[in-house]
Amino acid sequence: MSEYLTRGTAQERAIAKLLHYGTWLASFIIAAGLALECLHPSIKVFGLSGGGLMKAGVALFIFLPVARVGLMLIQFAQARDTAYTAISALVLMIIGAGFLAGL
Amino acid sequence: MMGALDGGASNALWLFVAAFGASALGGVLGMASGIFIVPILAFLFGVDIHAAIAASLVSVIACSCGSAAPLLKERLTNIRLAVVLETATTLGALTGVFLIGIIPTSYLYLLFAAILAVSAQQMLTRRREAAQMTVPDSRSWATVLRLHSTVPDRTGGAATPYSVGSVPLGLSLMYGAGLVSALLGIGSGVLKIPAMDTALRLPIKVSSATSNFMIGVTAAASAGAYFVRGDIDTALAGPVALGSVMGAIAGARLLMGLSGDKLRIFFVIVLVLLAVAMAMSGFGVHLGT
Repeated sequence: MSEYLTRGTAQERAIAKLLHYGTWLASFIIAAGLALECLHPSIKVFGLSGGGLMKAGVALFIFLPVARVGLMLIQFAQARDTAYTAISALVLMIIGAGFLAGL
Repeated sequence: MMGALDGGASNALWLFVAAFGASALGGVLGMASGIFIVPILAFLFGVDIHAAIAASLVSVIACSCGSAAPLLKERLTNIRLAVVLETATTLGALTGVFLIGIIPTSYLYLLFAAILAVSAQQMLTRRREAAQMTVPDSRSWATVLRLHSTVPDRTGGAATPYSVGSVPLGLSLMYGAGLVSALLGIGSGVLKIPAMDTALRLPIKVSSATSNFMIGVTAAASAGAYFVRGDIDTALAGPVALGSVMGAIAGARLLMGLSGDKLRIFFVIVLVLLAVAMAMSGFGVHLGT
């Protein structure tokens, strides 16, 4: 019981993991871009300049919460929780509408 | 080394340092630094307010994601309530995306000044636990959506159950918080937390954790639209987001020893000064240049 209380449910742990590692990855990519920009502006990594890496890191940060809602949608669907699967899908649709509006 | 840097790179480093400092100081009081990013960019770096708002949203997302994991593991975040309220915050953010091009810039400054003033006022008053209803209404939205939950006890005792108050009222307040978030590039925690304290009557720790959890999705809804529109200058947003995340981590770990009360007064003064500066910009009065 106390194990369950201090470490969260499987669903909460999976979401925590996604956000934790996602934050580190995006931060690392931006830091690498920043370092490249400062030290060797002409060098490219995977075809990306320092500025390109920073753009990728920023895009990853924006995508991270959307991925989190996607993960919750899958989790609720697996638990056959129809109401919350629909609510998660609605949130994703609203965010998607924003993306489309931006295009 | 600095001598070898060109203007753009050294500017990026200063952006990182400024965001780091603001976030580290904010972290001590458990407040988000988002509200400081736009004034810092606009007043210290001379960035256009729309570019500052777009860049700030990225750092708001970064801080929300970066701080979510421990709160989830401690079971303080009510994820079901979060996703229900996110329907309203993202819809508000979407409205903001449509409105930001129409609203005159001076109104944005004035709205920002008002939010800064509310933040200052909130920082002065301590939050109190809302009185809990003993028996939740069996026909309320909160009951139908299975939102009532428990908050774990730190000392390892039994979890305390809590019930969730008015969901329709919470949803309408969250719509407003999402709108303001998209318009000003802030997390709107300053509006979300009172909504959760008063309308939903959650325990303070639950409302803080759940609000923080929702902030990322809310900001992503508007930042995503701004990003595909090409409104986000990543040379600006990148260093600021990185500085904010690192600053929040450093603030939570290193600055525990600082006196909370003195810092609180310091922040109130800073918030009031920024509110005045923003209001003056809104009225077309400019300091210095």
